[in-house]
Amino acid sequence: MMKNAKWKQYVTYLVLICCTVVFTVLGSMKQLPFSTLLQLESATIAMILAASLCLVVGFLGELSLGHAGFMCVGAFIGGKLSVILTDSGAYGGNELLIMLVCLVVGGIAAAICGVIIGLPALRLRGDYLAIVTLAFGEIVRSLFRNAPAEMFGGTLAMSTPRYDRNSLFIIGFILVLITVVIIQNFIRSKHGRAVTSIRDSEIAARATGINVTKYKLMVFTLSAFFAGIAGVLFSYSQFSVDSKKFDYNYSIQILVMVVLGGMGNIGGSLIAATAVVVLDTFLQKQLTGNLAVLKDMLYALVLIGLIVYRNAPALAGFREKVSIKNLMRNLSKHNPAKIHDDEAKWDRVPTKIHIDEVLSVDVQSKSPYTPDKQWKEEE
Amino acid sequence: MKKFLAFLMAAMMVVGVFAGCAPADGGGDGEFVIGMSGPLTGAAAVYGVAVQNAAQMAVDEINAAGGLNGYKFKLVATDDQHDPTKVATNYATLLEKGVHVSLGTVTTKPGLEFKNLSKQDNLFFLTPSASGDDIPEFENGYQMCFADGDQGKVAAEYINTLGLKKIGVFFKSDDPYSDGIYKNFTANLSKDITVVETQFTDANATDFSAQISQLKDCSFIFMPIYYQPAAIFMKQAKDSMAANAIYYGCDGFDGLAGEMDLSTITQEVSMLSHFDANSTEGKAAEFIKKYTEKYDTKTLNQFGASAYDCVYALYNAMSDLIKEGKEITPDISASDLCDLLKAKFSGGFSFAEGATGSNITWYETGKVNKIATKYTLKEAN
Amino acid sequence: MKFLETLLNGLSAGSTYAMIALGYTMVYGIAKMLNFAHGDVIMVGGYTLFIASTMMGVSPLLALLFAIVFCALIGVTIEKLAYKPLRGASPLAVLITAIGMSKLLQSLAQIVFGSATQPVDLLDLGSVSIGSLNVSMYTVITLLCSAVIMISLSLFVKYTRTGRAMIAVSEDKSAAQLMGINVNFIITITFAIGSALAAFAGFFMVLKTFNVEPSMGAMPGIKAFTAAVIGGIGSIPGAMLGGILMGVVEAFAQTSPVMAPYTDAIEFSILIVILLVRPSGILGKKRREKV
Repeated sequence: MMKNAKWKQYVTYLVLICCTVVFTVLGSMKQLPFSTLLQLESATIAMILAASLCLVVGFLGELSLGHAGFMCVGAFIGGKLSVILTDSGAYGGNELLIMLVCLVVGGIAAAICGVIIGLPALRLRGDYLAIVTLAFGEIVRSLFRNAPAEMFGGTLAMSTPRYDRNSLFIIGFILVLITVVIIQNFIRSKHGRAVTSIRDSEIAARATGINVTKYKLMVFTLSAFFAGIAGVLFSYSQFSVDSKKFDYNYSIQILVMVVLGGMGNIGGSLIAATAVVVLDTFLQKQLTGNLAVLKDMLYALVLIGLIVYRNAPALAGFREKVSIKNLMRNLSKHNPAKIHDDEAKWDRVPTKIHIDEVLSVDVQSKSPYTPDKQWKEEE
Repeated sequence: MKKFLAFLMAAMMVVGVFAGCAPADGGGDGEFVIGMSGPLTGAAAVYGVAVQNAAQMAVDEINAAGGLNGYKFKLVATDDQHDPTKVATNYATLLEKGVHVSLGTVTTKPGLEFKNLSKQDNLFFLTPSASGDDIPEFENGYQMCFADGDQGKVAAEYINTLGLKKIGVFFKSDDPYSDGIYKNFTANLSKDITVVETQFTDANATDFSAQISQLKDCSFIFMPIYYQPAAIFMKQAKDSMAANAIYYGCDGFDGLAGEMDLSTITQEVSMLSHFDANSTEGKAAEFIKKYTEKYDTKTLNQFGASAYDCVYALYNAMSDLIKEGKEITPDISASDLCDLLKAKFSGGFSFAEGATGSNITWYETGKVNKIATKYTLKEAN
Repeated sequence: MKFLETLLNGLSAGSTYAMIALGYTMVYGIAKMLNFAHGDVIMVGGYTLFIASTMMGVSPLLALLFAIVFCALIGVTIEKLAYKPLRGASPLAVLITAIGMSKLLQSLAQIVFGSATQPVDLLDLGSVSIGSLNVSMYTVITLLCSAVIMISLSLFVKYTRTGRAMIAVSEDKSAAQLMGINVNFIITITFAIGSALAAFAGFFMVLKTFNVEPSMGAMPGIKAFTAAVIGGIGSIPGAMLGGILMGVVEAFAQTSPVMAPYTDAIEFSILIVILLVRPSGILGKKRREKV
């Protein structure tokens, strides 16, 4: 059991490393067409964004509609710095070194914004916070757009140096790996458990002595930092950065990835991000004319369908019946606990102490409101 | 579960790779491939579709007349939805289709990506309508439309001659086209003229009453914006503005007559452009006739006319080159063709008769040299 | 004089925002959810006007009636299909569904009508001069209409059985149910009224812009939503106040060349500032959280 669980933890890393190696080899053999390279770049950017938003939405349980705003900060600040450093020939003109500096600076700039937006977040929750983050995203965009043209390109896009397309995706994959390692370790640490407890009940968390303020700020800052890094990466994958890209529609697109991946599931977010990017490019080529909108409609329908299916209280019994997890548990000898569905299921987090899983199931099954006959019979 | 997801992820990646590995059906079919990227869907679709239609029309005409030295042309149009981040994918598609020469992008922002991408591969482009000043920055890029800066300058010079004391300006501050014209306009405007400046953005593009109340006292209003907001403005300002005021726009006004019934307002509407959709003579009228027979008149605008000219200009330049003894067949690489065309276009090539002007030549900077005309769309009542 | 004109323009724009904000606030008060798709119901109203007026040639007032009925139906349908199954689920899930609904409506409109703008010439309103003040009839009509609507809405909520039931449901859903109030019916009614108000807002917007497009409701929707939060979401007078404030700020910001490019930023900054000072909005009630 223990062995099995440990192995599971590293699957995401393993897959990511495999992808990195495979694509690096293919890339160095010049086997990858241009369009695939582009897809890989976009996929890595989307993965970082999705993983970092997952932290806020899935684990802290707050809805952020301004994630693109943090990305915007990273893209403009990091992009501008890369222009300055490249022009001045700093670090002996070593592109990789300049990029690293820009990534860090862009990330930090976005993180500072994360603190700024995290501060009102301490007083607000839920819908209020969602609208504030949305407002923040729009304000940031407006500020960059109206900044003097010499600084951030004004209404026209800001020109940024593009990194060599044969190797940018490798850096992207490495960054995804770093992001996932940091976020997963954060979640599995005691801080992570504190964060999830805030999500499950802020009052209870406060009562047990968890510093809610500190943790909320921490999560917002961390999430913004990675969004900023994604922004810098984005600016390196483009010749120009345009503030229009970062409107709330883009934030919603990132949210779709997180929801599709199953909120609170980093691996799922990564897969969903990749799927959305691949599907996006595929459909961009296939659908023409007014049908091109079918893509948006598809996302909307999937989003609604998935959320209703996973959260509707009326469907709880049905979900339990068809759950893949339960199916696998039934097949496996070692699993004593059957996972019972309740509304907070999607945000249940596996923690380091594996007994937790069993505990949480016990607590839930004893809920007086949803007596489950089937389960009792099995017992 | 994780294992399952992991496999799914791996599978997805592999699919992604193979999706991109589709064999390139290059120009080996004995055709010259002209590539373009434009907003075929979305809010700016009317421009992209106009360019696509008109370019297709020109290609069909050329093919019907026997093509270039017996080789046919083929247009490959890709959709960027006026989103710069989609251009790279489109560009990759064009390369896979074996593009020889390109019309670049229809709009400016995507064009900034395109010029860099095409520079790397040395692909020649002659854009019909991406009017940003920086679009022809590199040697391989040329414009068929007026650059924004030039439009602003010409408009300012014209207004300087009118002897006005005070004019109003209404522009869209988050649009590079509008902003670009406006900046050059104010820079070249005589210092004796007082300017009442008003603006709007995408987020406030429905209610212009605040701006109208400011511009009310001006009898001349310069509006370097596209026709949709212009139509809204004119309808809203119908009664507040002086009855004989003049609305003066740039080529973005083209299409205005289709958007609103101009006879419902009393003010004068005129524009500075290279094409008039109501033209009754010359190549322009011919183009209008052919276009309206084939396509929706809603998409008839200067973008299309310009694209039509672009295809013919490329065709003329290439046939000139053949006459000069250069060997141009579909086997030529895009880069070699680009070098020939660059030399041609910067070396005094003249496009004799087009829908958007005659004796069109190009500067070495890639900007176009032709005559801008003031068209009066409607006289004041 | 300039000042007065700008103020009037602001009030007129603000009353449209207020109309939309009322829809947000009522739904929030009763169903405790942010109906993100509310802005797009405006768009549905706009397209109904387009079909009725431009395509069928119906008179403007009849077209408005169609729009009101159709929007109310759409609002109720959305509630039944997307929100009702989620009653009792986490608020986050409901909010995301609402966002999905908003995108769905927009893309549907785009598929059916295309992404280009469609012309709607409803009424040709002139303008009236009061002394040296030139006021467009549009301003007069929007101000009058919205005043009438807001007053009747307040009276409706205060003095009718259904209205009182609404207040009861917004105070305590389960207690209201115990008192014999049909909560489902009240929620349906709320969505219908909110959507009908959106149809009015759509009518005002079309009167102003003379055309419709798939994303016409998105930005006004978000701004009205901001206005509702500023005024204190869940409070009807708060929504009016917030909407009017939004319109007036917008009008004044746009007349100053320095501030004009930052209009959106200013509007959204007001929201952040107000929420920092008063987290429940200007007229919002403070809610004590129960464990």
